[in-house]
Order: sequence, then structure tokens, then C-alpha cells
Amino acid sequence: MEQQIDDNLRRVYADTANEPLPERFTQLLDRLRDQEQDKSDKSSEDDA
Amino acid sequence: MTKSTDPKEEIVEHLPAMRAFAMSLTHNSATADDLVQDAIVKAWGNLDKFQPGTNLRAWLFTILRNTYYSLYRKRRREVEDPDGTMAGQMSEKPEHDGHLAMTDFRQAFAKLTDEQREVLVLVGAEGFSYEDAAEMCGCAVGTIKSRTNRARKRLAELMQIDDDDELEMTDAATMAVVQGTSSA
Repeated sequence: MEQQIDDNLRRVYADTANEPLPERFTQLLDRLRDQEQDKSDKSSEDDA
Repeated sequence: MTKSTDPKEEIVEHLPAMRAFAMSLTHNSATADDLVQDAIVKAWGNLDKFQPGTNLRAWLFTILRNTYYSLYRKRRREVEDPDGTMAGQMSEKPEHDGHLAMTDFRQAFAKLTDEQREVLVLVGAEGFSYEDAAEMCGCAVGTIKSRTNRARKRLAELMQIDDDDELEMTDAATMAVVQGTSSA
């Protein structure tokens, strides 16, 4: 029974984990990276 | 697992698992994705606190669960619609070939407490050690062990009950399930 539960658990879990990643997340990471770039650009300007 | 040393580059690899974990906590794909988004933003802002060489996925999961408990748990009661979102996914023919029907499984899983679902995903689906899971949940290893055992037992009981129901189900009721209409 425990084995069956874990098998089912992994199947349900994998259903979501195997879905293609929605674009909003790659866009979000790009945005976070851009913000950081802006910040470090500014701080290097300050350094200069 | 990966040679990449920059956790910023690595985060994306863990997003599918984070979505699956969030889905198991919220039971609503829109809420789950909002939760993942909040967790990513929080993780990004705290990456300097991540210890390189330690388990990034465990770290991200910890942030996600903390975000869930601090922001979403209350909200879930207001927007919760386990049958609505789950029903769409459940429109598959129930299996009776020795496998437990996934429909029954999903329904039973949804009836567990947050803590029970969480521990089953961490230990049962993700395969984290009891020690890692304990650290992620901020509780003792013994608590995780007993919680896991109780969750498995409860799940087995819930499915047993569903199994008994099913014996009395007519073909019409089965068809209603397959077609995604309520048999209630």
C-alpha cells in the first residue's frame, strides 16, 4: 500500500512538474536580472 | 546534480518542481503560480544568504512553503475550489487494472491537512531525507517521521473508503465521473 501511495504521489506530482514552464517565469527571471544589471550599472557609475 | 555554480542560473531548473509543490499545497494552478512567483522574488532578494554547495532545491522549497504559510494559507480558505480545478484534471477514465484510480487518489490527497500533503510531497514524491524535510519544515526529525506515517495511513484510509463507495457505483455514476460531471 505504501508503495502504491508513493507511486501515485510521484505520478500526480510529475504531472505538474512535467508541464512546460509558463512564460511568466522566464520573463520574471529576465526582469529580475535586468533590474540587477541596472543597479550594478548605476553603482559602477558611482564608483567612477 | 549540476556543475553550475551560480544559483541565479540554476533557479530555472527547479521551477517545475516548485510549481508541483505549490500545486500540491494550493490545489489551484493560478494560485500555485502566484505562490511560485512570490517565492522566486523572495529567493532572488535573499540569494546572498544561500550557502553555495548546499541544496538549492531544498532552500527554494523552504522559501516557497514559508511564503505559503505566511501569505496563502488564509487566502486559500477564501478562494479554495478543490473540486473546480481538480475536476478538470480528473476527467480521465478511472483505472481499475490494479492501480489505484488517480481520481480517488487526488481526491483523497486533497482531504489531507497542509502539513500532511507537504510531508508526503517532500519525502514521498521529491525523495528528500527526513533530516532535510525536518530542516525545511522547521521541526524535529521524529515529527517528520510520524507525520509521514500518519499521512500515509490517512491517505490509505481515505482511499479505502473511496474503494468501498466504488463497489456500489453504477455504470452511470462511473460515466459521470469520466465526463467530469458531478455525481453528487
